[in-house]
Amino acid sequence: MQEATFLILTSLAAGSQHGYGIIADVAEISGGRVKLLAGTLYTALERLRTDGLILVDSEEIVDNRLRRYYRLTPDGEKRLAAEAARLQSHATAALRRLRVNPAGGAA
Amino acid sequence: MNEPHTNKPGPGPGAAGGLERGYRRLLAWYPRWFRRENEEEILAVLLACAQDGQRRPGVEAAADLLKGAARMWMRPRPGQPRTVFAAIRLMWAAALAELGVAITILVTLGSVRGAVLHAYPPAWHAVQVQLLSDAAQAPLVIALWLWMARANGNGRNRGRAAVAVFSGIVCLAVLASVSAGGITYAPADTAAGMVHCLTALAVVFLVFNPASSRHYRTSMRNGSSLA
Repeated sequence: MQEATFLILTSLAAGSQHGYGIIADVAEISGGRVKLLAGTLYTALERLRTDGLILVDSEEIVDNRLRRYYRLTPDGEKRLAAEAARLQSHATAALRRLRVNPAGGAA
Repeated sequence: MNEPHTNKPGPGPGAAGGLERGYRRLLAWYPRWFRRENEEEILAVLLACAQDGQRRPGVEAAADLLKGAARMWMRPRPGQPRTVFAAIRLMWAAALAELGVAITILVTLGSVRGAVLHAYPPAWHAVQVQLLSDAAQAPLVIALWLWMARANGNGRNRGRAAVAVFSGIVCLAVLASVSAGGITYAPADTAAGMVHCLTALAVVFLVFNPASSRHYRTSMRNGSSLA
């Protein structure tokens, strides 16, 4: 799973969110390191919808413009949980090895 | 509902018109089905992300939108079977190949002329007529492939019928060329014709596949005009 996809799903894990909200949330989650742009975001949202990982939760009109809220589907929650567990396992392995070799470099 | 973020005010009333037009021009590169579904929403996000006083789309945002548009063109629209999407991609490839053939003929005409005149001068007139006729019909063939790709993408049965008829004509022309000894005197031309014929047959196979047929029936029933 690409980092942007993982962060978008993470943004939706706490509840439904609209496009601009996801962009702001992803920036916050990544500590400002990942700056999602609209083209990337909506390409990913379309793919995630097609894959059944997210769905449109609700729509509203704000300042005469459409605002659509997205949320995770049960499949999306499972995929995110599996990916988070995988990343956590890799990170744990990396940290354990770094503790064995505190210089941080290769042995 | 997770609601920690609200839309920013955007670029301000004076700048918004030009900026919105700029973004709409970029969004026009997306497939129509995607624009119909998402354009207003994306526009709202783009304007919310704009800097105060911004009058034109930034380079980074523009490149990102164009990249997104290219990616969306490479994806099947919702509900479109993969067989139909594969057929459409083959039709685009065939149109592109036809363009390549036409350009090659025009670019190499001089060297071919020299070679033919050197080897067997009386044949030049016939070769020239054949080559120019191939180059002249290329725009028509390209337009036909593109039209068929669009019609089949829209689930139109006339698009399927056109593919079947066109494939028949292409393959009959290749058979005629082979039976006239084309493999001996024009092997490259005959080989290109065979590839064209096989491509057309693959498209026929894909659009007349049972999974594709359901798509055509549904599209015709819904009177779909997605592009």
